Amino acid sequence: RNKTTCLLKADIISTVEFNHTGELLATGDKGGRVVIFQREQESKNQVHRRGEYNVYSTFQSHEPEFDYLKSLEIEEKINKIRWLPQQNAAYFLLSTNDKTVKLWKVSERDKRPEGYNLKDEEGRLRDPATITTLRVPVLRPMDLMVEATPRRVFANAHTYHINSISVNSDYETYMSADDLRINLWNFEITNQSFNIVDIKPANMEELTEVITAAEFHPHHCNTFVYSSSKGTIRLCDMRASALCDRHTKFFEEPEDPSNRSFFSEIISSISDVKFSHSGRYIMTRDYLTVKVWDLNMENRPIETYQVHDYLRSKLCSLYENDCIFDKFECVWNGSDSVIMTGSYNNFFRMFDRNTKRDVTLEASRENSKPRAILKPRKVCVGGKRRKDEISVDSLDFSKKILHTAWHPSENIIAVAATNNLYIFQDKVN
Amino acid sequence: MECALDAQSLISISLRKIHSSRTQRGGIKLHKNLLVSYVLRNARQLYLNERYAELYRRQQQQQQQQQPPQHQHLAYAAPGMPASAADFGPLQLGGGGGDAEAREPAARHQLHQLHQLHQLHLQQQLHQLQHPAPRGCAAAGAPAGGAGALTEPPGCAALHPPHGAPHRGQPLEPLQPAPAPLSLPPPPPAPSALCPRDPRASAACSAPSAPPGAAPPAAAAASPPASPAPASSPGFYRGAYPAPSDFSVHCSSQTTVLDLDTHVVTTVENGYLHQDCCASAHCPCCGQGAPGPGLASASGCKRKYYPGQEEEDDGDEEDAGELGAEPPGGAPFAPCKRARFEDFCPDSSPDASNISNLISIFGSGFSGLVSRQPDSSEQQPPPLNGQLCAKQALASLGAWTRAIVAF
Repeated sequence: RNKTTCLLKADIISTVEFNHTGELLATGDKGGRVVIFQREQESKNQVHRRGEYNVYSTFQSHEPEFDYLKSLEIEEKINKIRWLPQQNAAYFLLSTNDKTVKLWKVSERDKRPEGYNLKDEEGRLRDPATITTLRVPVLRPMDLMVEATPRRVFANAHTYHINSISVNSDYETYMSADDLRINLWNFEITNQSFNIVDIKPANMEELTEVITAAEFHPHHCNTFVYSSSKGTIRLCDMRASALCDRHTKFFEEPEDPSNRSFFSEIISSISDVKFSHSGRYIMTRDYLTVKVWDLNMENRPIETYQVHDYLRSKLCSLYENDCIFDKFECVWNGSDSVIMTGSYNNFFRMFDRNTKRDVTLEASRENSKPRAILKPRKVCVGGKRRKDEISVDSLDFSKKILHTAWHPSENIIAVAATNNLYIFQDKVN
Repeated sequence: MECALDAQSLISISLRKIHSSRTQRGGIKLHKNLLVSYVLRNARQLYLNERYAELYRRQQQQQQQQQPPQHQHLAYAAPGMPASAADFGPLQLGGGGGDAEAREPAARHQLHQLHQLHQLHLQQQLHQLQHPAPRGCAAAGAPAGGAGALTEPPGCAALHPPHGAPHRGQPLEPLQPAPAPLSLPPPPPAPSALCPRDPRASAACSAPSAPPGAAPPAAAAASPPASPAPASSPGFYRGAYPAPSDFSVHCSSQTTVLDLDTHVVTTVENGYLHQDCCASAHCPCCGQGAPGPGLASASGCKRKYYPGQEEEDDGDEEDAGELGAEPPGGAPFAPCKRARFEDFCPDSSPDASNISNLISIFGSGFSGLVSRQPDSSEQQPPPLNGQLCAKQALASLGAWTRAIVAF
């Protein structure tokens, strides 16, 4: 965008997701649009030029709606996009706003039929009386057109705001989760869903926690996890009962009483949960940390990474300006050896689980000349600020990186910084 | 962690957040409001702890019997929430008191003392309220200039005590500088404070894109035709007309509190709590189970709750309490708390007495929510003792919840 001063809210990216091969990258924004990028085929002529991502398709997925019964506007913002694995020439993805999930088919058309008998070139019907000869329509090449069509609309199943969708490994079902309930859908059936989790208390005054994220296990189609605002994760097995209100496993780390503050509940709320590709671990993100849990150990995480602990003393101001409610996501790399999450000032962080090294990088225009190498950044917490460091008070809290994605097999990452999408690749050689 | 803000500011900021969330696009965000209510609980506990400690110190000098100070048992220490408090959601009995009292006689005693402290506290507040133009509600302070002037006639600028004793469950008639005071047909349904319908309501008070006429049909059906509340009204009214006597009797002040958001009317009279709410299991239209997708139990059904007495069904009252159980607030819950949070606008040096008014009101007026489900086997009134009243005092965010959780 050339408009540097005018930031349209509708352009703010709200979700980023690679497909299963990494060939496609989808983004959703606050305006309800989905933009899909496709990786260029690497050409033999330019070996050193890695495939770049170009816009492949753009479509309006959701529109703002108004619920007249409750006098309530339903935002068109795309909360999540999830790809289905590719099973034919077309691509399928799920996109959701607060209330409605849609299945989109994205397909290419590079031929079109020509030579109809009953209609002319513009499609207007011909007067049959004028037809004297018959011909067989033929397919002729045309400019590549990518069209997106909504194949299914899964609506009216959520009273609260949908925060997650997750495709099951059976590729026949998926789940959608809102603040209090999780529903299981079959892709073919739009007028029914099964409620598999319901944590709504009989008396809403007894409400103490909400569901914040949910995901299916990558391999076991009967297993899923969901995280809560209280910092806990529950693993459920759908074989155990139809309603998975009782968990199979319960992951919780005891709170450190010395860290207690007005905002303890807020910062312990989990904003994202992701299975590792192996299915052995789950990663959770709360306001200040990322944690890795072993599915076999429920009483504490096996690893905890401080994302921006220097914010711990700033929680008051972050509460005032609402930043404390920001929901950061987290991602694994393809081999589960590195995890990544976002922060403020357009910083994002990577943690290498093996070497225990971490790095802070910045997604900004200045740093993003093509093939320029990102320079590690550092936040200075106090005392003397070194030359390249940035002090905590200079951080721009309006520039937050909430959504990132990692290519399933290569070191390519996509970072959404407000209304800009940055794609970084590992340097060649 | 050093917090730059004190408890009072946090409370006011939190209330403002809750209020503004009602008008944000996309409806009320349950998650965010839940988190804000936790902050409210924490701040409130700290605030109350400080106040009670102060009052206790004062009272100690007055009391004949000297009790050993039990500050450490006042379970509001923050930071470091006692485990029992943490067990409760912020929307429930917040202090450790309610739980503790079930466990220990010593705790009962503490509660009794707390109750006395609270009564003392109330006394002070009520004395303030007894000034000529009774400051019936937080908003009433506004004309005095408090914080951020209400630009439109507040729905409840001041309250006249109703003639004689209040009818049970009858909301007070608000007085407004503007034309017609709200008049309610008997038997009184709560005024449906449908802010969005009131063209005079500020933008902040209306549902974002609801045109004045587009109130949900269900609400329209449920509410009496007479009365969209002149509804930039604050969240609730309070009529303070203490009984001529006698603060020594528990809860003897006949105080009626109406929460316009939830249409819960609470009259505290002679130690009884009378409360209109539709939360009981007996109400057929206020299903406790999950609603059908996207369907709010919109049929109004108000119940009067008299401990130990029969249920009455006021069919044509809007059930905000249970509607409240439905998700992101519809028009019935758009009514604004503008007046309330205006008082707490940090920009204009919060008036501490306003805040303490608010807290004491919450503390005393809404605790019936703690035990909402009337036990039908209970044929006698709850015991008039310190336990019930103290519970009321400690029913921390029962009040908030009705105000906040408009789902």
